[in-house]
Amino acid sequence: MSKKENGAQWLLLTAVFVIATCGLIYELVAGTLASYLLGDSITQFSTIIGVYLFSMGIGSFLSKYFNNNLLAWFIRIELLVGLVGGFSSALLFIVFPLAASFRIILYTIVLITGVLVGLEIPLLMRILEKKVAFKELVSRVFTFDYIGALLASLIFPLLLVPHLGLIRTSLFFGILNVGVGWYLAHHFSKEIRQVVLLKTAAITLLLAQLVCFVFSESIMSYSETMTYDDNVVYATSTPYQRIVLTKNKHELRLFLNGNLQFSTADEYRYHEALVHPAFSSLNQPEQVLVLGGGDGLAVREILKYPSVKQVTLVDLDPAMTKLFSHQEILVRLNDSSLLNSKVHVHNADAFTWLRSNKILFDAIVVDFPDPSNFSIGKLYSTSFYQLLKRALRPDGIAVIQSTSPYVAPKSFWCVDTTLRSVGLHTIAYHNYVPSFGEWGYIMATPSAPHHWFSHLPSPLKFLNPTTLQLMLTFPEDMKAHQLLDINKLNNQALVKYFEEEWGKYLEH
Amino acid sequence: MQRRSFIQSIAGLTVVSSFIASCHRQRVIGGSVIGASAHTGHLLRDKKFAAPVSTTEHAVVIVGGGVSGLSAARHLHRQGIRDIVILDLEKEMGGNAACGKNDISGYPWGAHYVPIPNNDLTEYTDFMRECGVITSDASAPLPAYNDYYICFDPEERLYINGQWQEGLIPQFGVPAGDKAQIQQFLDKMQSFRLAKGQDGKDAFAIPLDNSSKDPAFVQLDSLTMKQWLQQQGLTSSYLQWYVNYCTRDDFGTPYDEISAWVGIHYFASRKGKGSNADHHDVLTWPEGNGWLAAHLKKELQPYFHNQALVTRILQENDRLTVDYFDVKESRLKRINAQQCILAVPQFVAGRILQDEARIQRVHQHMQYSPWMVANIRTKELTERTGPPLSWDNVLYNSPSLGYVDATHQDIRQGIHLRNLTYYRPLTDHTPVEERKAALERTHAEWVKLIVDDLEKVHANITDAIEEVNVMIWGHAMAKPLPGMIHGTIRQELAASVNNRLHFAHTDLAGNSIFEEAFYQGLSAAKKVMTHLSRTI
Repeated sequence: MSKKENGAQWLLLTAVFVIATCGLIYELVAGTLASYLLGDSITQFSTIIGVYLFSMGIGSFLSKYFNNNLLAWFIRIELLVGLVGGFSSALLFIVFPLAASFRIILYTIVLITGVLVGLEIPLLMRILEKKVAFKELVSRVFTFDYIGALLASLIFPLLLVPHLGLIRTSLFFGILNVGVGWYLAHHFSKEIRQVVLLKTAAITLLLAQLVCFVFSESIMSYSETMTYDDNVVYATSTPYQRIVLTKNKHELRLFLNGNLQFSTADEYRYHEALVHPAFSSLNQPEQVLVLGGGDGLAVREILKYPSVKQVTLVDLDPAMTKLFSHQEILVRLNDSSLLNSKVHVHNADAFTWLRSNKILFDAIVVDFPDPSNFSIGKLYSTSFYQLLKRALRPDGIAVIQSTSPYVAPKSFWCVDTTLRSVGLHTIAYHNYVPSFGEWGYIMATPSAPHHWFSHLPSPLKFLNPTTLQLMLTFPEDMKAHQLLDINKLNNQALVKYFEEEWGKYLEH
Repeated sequence: MQRRSFIQSIAGLTVVSSFIASCHRQRVIGGSVIGASAHTGHLLRDKKFAAPVSTTEHAVVIVGGGVSGLSAARHLHRQGIRDIVILDLEKEMGGNAACGKNDISGYPWGAHYVPIPNNDLTEYTDFMRECGVITSDASAPLPAYNDYYICFDPEERLYINGQWQEGLIPQFGVPAGDKAQIQQFLDKMQSFRLAKGQDGKDAFAIPLDNSSKDPAFVQLDSLTMKQWLQQQGLTSSYLQWYVNYCTRDDFGTPYDEISAWVGIHYFASRKGKGSNADHHDVLTWPEGNGWLAAHLKKELQPYFHNQALVTRILQENDRLTVDYFDVKESRLKRINAQQCILAVPQFVAGRILQDEARIQRVHQHMQYSPWMVANIRTKELTERTGPPLSWDNVLYNSPSLGYVDATHQDIRQGIHLRNLTYYRPLTDHTPVEERKAALERTHAEWVKLIVDDLEKVHANITDAIEEVNVMIWGHAMAKPLPGMIHGTIRQELAASVNNRLHFAHTDLAGNSIFEEAFYQGLSAAKKVMTHLSRTI
């Protein structure tokens, strides 16, 4: 064998090595990404490895249909692997918000990469079959293939994921793939037709991937933007939550940790329903406590009662209350309620604040996030409601936002059961808030008041004596139809109901 | 490129990459190793002391400020005795209920919970009422427990077969045959819980000396827990892991060493019931049983002499002379006492009394298991699939017992920093070997052991940990080996000497739990009262 022939052989074997490394890396990237985004790493990894290996089989099968220009095909495939694999993780991050088709795209990418990688080894063996003895050929090709696999599996967890991240890792190997393709085209330029076209394609790809590699950070943030329907106009992470404001032509929406808190289009429906049934039943309320509700929208409604002398607002996150005290659009939305001299803002933990509280209130508005985890679940427990009861005057009323009685009737009525278990009288009601759906609230009193809804202020956009009556009626599909557990710190029954009901609802 | 150089460069790249990766991991984690004053304690064994420089007179001296000693002192104080001295080697009283505190929360250095008390333990439930754990009157049909002290949900999780599951009894990925055996075992434990002996007593009671002497149950003390499981045909490896976990957790003793009677006692002696809690519930505080110890200590501060190593107790005609080394002043002092309670383990008691026979008996019959307890201060940890961070977090087949979240009973939202208390009884080799190895291990080596263990479940732990402090308990608790409970050794060692010197410690009770210590102290104090009134 001539020296030149020998050189060509080793160059092609190097290509095998790079392909094997890249192929496995793409597979690992897909598996890791799927575990990140879909959870359940065991399922994700095993299905992806399975699909990948199977696709390699398809590739090997298809290789028999390639009969001419094997070297050119080999290079084309190399470039294609670089293209698909290199952009795979960036693409997957971007399509993730399109939840339904995510799996399809994921497995398609794995399938294509697998088929292409599966094609390459048989093609290469055929390119080399006349140049090397068969036993040498098999031995060399597979040695390089497996060494590549080992290298990939070692550097992926140790080096690549910690230092490059997933998007850059796949781009980096895409660049490597395409680079090898270009070099092969260059090296064998005399043996291939249309070599210029191949080389141009390779260089274009290289440039595209380099640009993506540099700008991968903004791909990540673009991916978050896609999670929301509208433009993200403000986003910040505080020690407690991620606050995101989005805007379209008609409305502004606030999301906390990805959960919609309000839309300007219909928030009045929620806040009127939260505040007025309780307040209109009180005789000249003076001392008011608001727990949560750092957006100041409930306070805006409360300040419609001239008898109110002091509103104490306890919200955990200073970033929230600051935002709603200073940002122009938001201040207009809450009528500068947080800047009102009657309003005192405490950035404190509601549970600990209430535990040390000595003041008695005429009204307490509890506007916490839904009980979606064990931490928030504590704010719906008997222990918390005992403190709430202690902080209410004998003729006072507390009102608690209590999730959707339509989506989560057990959760809703569990809050009611828990309030009753500490000796409070309750009145449950609900209304329709288009952004949320059917929503529920519960009023709780140490002793039943006498003048329900006698002092409604005007003008209101949603509430009037007739809508109020409707709100008190619960149709069958908003009832629990079973005996419910009381939510205590040591059973967190509510979080379990909530997970079960909302989990089922969101699956649809 | 030549083939050889090519392969060399691959090998090189791999070495370089793993080197870079290991550099990345070599972040030095702060903290220190704290012993239970092993150095001072061993002076008792190794040092000759000079003559005492001062002598004082006191009615009662209590040696040892663990839960037994504190309980004894509390009882005496409540009976109107004021002339008491409590001597303890450590800076803080509390023994195995020791605890610490940082800006995040309190955290335990030892025992971290008590189960719901059995309702027949009047003195103990009175104590629980006194410190606000029971909120109802003694007249209530069932005690109401303070909701803030009953362990919050989620209570326990186990990492098994690649993910977390709820509860510690293996379930996820466990074959049906094993599950059936686990159920059989639990059913047997339930019937032991209800069982009574021919003598009408509970088969398994607390304190354990109140248990039935019916031979049907007593004979269980002659074999190990593992042998008993084998006899019952309970061979499931999942079940055996679980039982071994439990005996190591409560007694620092593997199931192939522990007496079957004691192993069963662990499962069958809890019968407490409250209006809002059941026998499987537990009471816990950020600082663990340090919280209870603090309540025991409440009125006892004037009696405390800390950092006092008792070197010798001599019995003279009508009194006892107690010599102790005052570590702070570095001097030997003497107290003449009418009555003394030795609330220390027996291997220490033998030395203090310079009683060769006792030392020999203890050496022959008793083993004390060493433990390592680490408090880990950490930022948020990444999680595997399954239930979220719970109070007790255990890894299947780990040499450790997992960790407890000291901030679990915190009611606040948005906790990002936590104290995790990591427990590891050192049971791989003999106690002597383990103790020696433990004292030689450096802080960095302990940290590596912990990180290697927990990295399986929290991939980012190396970066998240801010500090690890390690406590070595050389002699944490006596192992309840076969024959210990129903043999004669405990009685022999526990017998008062000349009606002046009494013993109170959980190694004599046979079971290192809070209730036993509480009653050890109480009954020693009652003996002291009898003899004091006789002499006064």
